[in-house]
Amino acid sequence: MSLTTTRRSILALSLVGSLAGLAACAAPGSSTQPTTTAPTAVSTNVGTEPVTITLYDGAGLKTVDDALIAAFNEKYPNITVETRFDPDNVQAQNAPRVLASDNPPELARIVALGDIVTDNLLTPLTPWAESYGWDIPGGQMAMYTVDEQGVRGSGTQYTVASGFVTTGVYYNKELAAQLGLSGLPTTVDAFEAALEKAKVAGITPIITGNSVGQANTAIQMMINNHMGAKAVNDWVFNVPGATIDTPEATAGVQIVADWINAGYFNADANGTDGAGASARFAQGEALFYLSGNWDASGLAKSMGDNVGFMAPPALKEGTLLAMSDPVTNFGIPAKAKNKDAAAAFLDFLMSAEARAVLVENGFAPSGAGEVPQTEAGSLNEAVQESFAALVAADGQVQFVQNATSGSTAAWNEQSQLLVGGKTTPADFVTAIQASYTEQIGK
Amino acid sequence: MTAISSTPTGEAVPRPRGTRGRGARARTLRRMNWGGWLYLVPALTLYGLFVLRPLISTIQYSFYDWNGISLATPVGMANYVKVLTDPVLLSSVGHSFQLMVFFTVIPVVGGLLVAALLQEIRIKGLGTVARTTLFLPQIIPGAAAAIAWVWMFSSSGAVNQLLSAIGLESITRAWLGDFDWALPAVGVIGLWLNLGFCTILLMSGIGKIDASIYEAARMDGAGFWSTFKAVTLPGLRAEIGVCVTMTMIAALASFDVVYMSTRGGPGNSTMVPGVLVYQLGFTESRVGLASALAMVLTLLVFVVILPLQRLFREH
Repeated sequence: MSLTTTRRSILALSLVGSLAGLAACAAPGSSTQPTTTAPTAVSTNVGTEPVTITLYDGAGLKTVDDALIAAFNEKYPNITVETRFDPDNVQAQNAPRVLASDNPPELARIVALGDIVTDNLLTPLTPWAESYGWDIPGGQMAMYTVDEQGVRGSGTQYTVASGFVTTGVYYNKELAAQLGLSGLPTTVDAFEAALEKAKVAGITPIITGNSVGQANTAIQMMINNHMGAKAVNDWVFNVPGATIDTPEATAGVQIVADWINAGYFNADANGTDGAGASARFAQGEALFYLSGNWDASGLAKSMGDNVGFMAPPALKEGTLLAMSDPVTNFGIPAKAKNKDAAAAFLDFLMSAEARAVLVENGFAPSGAGEVPQTEAGSLNEAVQESFAALVAADGQVQFVQNATSGSTAAWNEQSQLLVGGKTTPADFVTAIQASYTEQIGK
Repeated sequence: MTAISSTPTGEAVPRPRGTRGRGARARTLRRMNWGGWLYLVPALTLYGLFVLRPLISTIQYSFYDWNGISLATPVGMANYVKVLTDPVLLSSVGHSFQLMVFFTVIPVVGGLLVAALLQEIRIKGLGTVARTTLFLPQIIPGAAAAIAWVWMFSSSGAVNQLLSAIGLESITRAWLGDFDWALPAVGVIGLWLNLGFCTILLMSGIGKIDASIYEAARMDGAGFWSTFKAVTLPGLRAEIGVCVTMTMIAALASFDVVYMSTRGGPGNSTMVPGVLVYQLGFTESRVGLASALAMVLTLLVFVVILPLQRLFREH
């Protein structure tokens, strides 16, 4: 090696070394977050002075948020709501850092509620709940609360949902009639009989876009049936000791594994995405499409009266369970400025006006009260009826992908392995639980 | 090496061009115009701020368990141990090396052949047409190209239509959803992106080779292959070096193509370190582990690239 090269290397090394030494002085991260975020004085009177607040949400929710803000401004003309949208998954990832910044929005969509509360980034809503006299159904309240250990499902309230998504089974009415299906297959047995009929007739029984993990909709529906709402919710809320590596969960996954083996899913499921699956269902390729009400308006537009919606099939008649969680779970960041105005918006979310806006947009309303009117015989009506029955049966189950921030990746990977015949139901739940434990313990 | 030479008395004597003694070096240093360095200050500041500082932060983060927000806890080498023992993380590195076949080997070999053929044929206008056609993929961002290829690889997409048209219906499938074929399919996207880059670079390299050498070879009766081996290949040493280096880095550090086409699926069959770093760091908020994986990836790129640099260096 020439002298020049040696000297240059030494210079470069010492430069990097000294800079690294400088940087290594302090641990990254901040210990200066406020340890208590409880507001001191709250008011339900937002006055008449102009106030501006910022709302931060996922881009997919822009339409419904804009409609909510318009309705809100009729009631509170002095509060200007500015909006800021990031793509849904980007918003979920960025929210913790945006909340930790010095100038956070007044209202933000919160996905990883437990972590964010543990990091003291949110304002407890208890004082406003008392002042406004919020009366929130228990199943909904569970999605808003976190206890002192960071476990969700009980404790202090930190969020209010703009509305709810719900899940179920879309069916093609023409194909159902063609196959001679009498009545809706509301039990797993009846559902499997319908799947077999479709298969024999050469119609794809269930279309699914599993490149984005859509088979998990079927998988969780069957896990819900076998584990019950409480056990699944406890797992998602990170209750200590909760596990999904159980014989019940394995039995649920086994049902879907049998469907896969029987050829009840489209053969290219792992190479199809969600948009592709719903488009092909709309074109009449399949009898069933398992999804949520976010697909309702699109399917109603392309299929007209030919599409129906029903709750997930249950093990036995009379039980009702379905994945359902907030459209947007709005919280007020700890460092936000105009908290009273933000709380007025949260209060508004449970008003009759806001509930009507949600229903118009195909979602289920927040809070309690009369179900807002929908067009008779429409798909939206079927969705709203299904949701109302679900709330009445206290059958709202959290999406398992929301258990930890890395859960979606784990469920997608495992469901693709299951569809590809590369894993067993027992290994499936063991792998999911291992990833969960690693994340919780991190 | 023999760069240093001086007489025993230390007297300056005439030396071959390009060599200098120690005394001369010292004098040059003293006489050097340090003011010249001022011109470098803006560039060095930006480099330090946006290249060195993030690099150093990454090194630092890799020794901590940190969620990106609250106070980090030092964990020593634990993140590195995990990176080097976790089968998923290790297999992602293996996928990168498999991708090199598509990102590097085929584009460089193919680019060489195309460039040599175009030099041989010399039909007016053909070169321009070929250059434009092959370079087109280069102006399309990798992410956009990946989306287009997702459609082409889907079960009713262009690839399967083409296969059906020529009677190969039996092998049609959803390529990106197949555990055995997803990685080669992702590789084809990279191949499509990199082939043009290599061809253009090699064509311009051929343009620099003295035409009289080709003429001489032709007069000596050399055919296409002998000309290729004796003139084109040695003359393109530097360009091939650049092609191999750039495309290997693209394979090892691939992110956009994989993220937009498969996100590492089905299962983990197309997972590469770039996508894992993103997933660990941003989706799962495990900044320390993501940083450690990023550092291992950086070192890996160095280990692979540095010997190649030596190999392709011109003498």
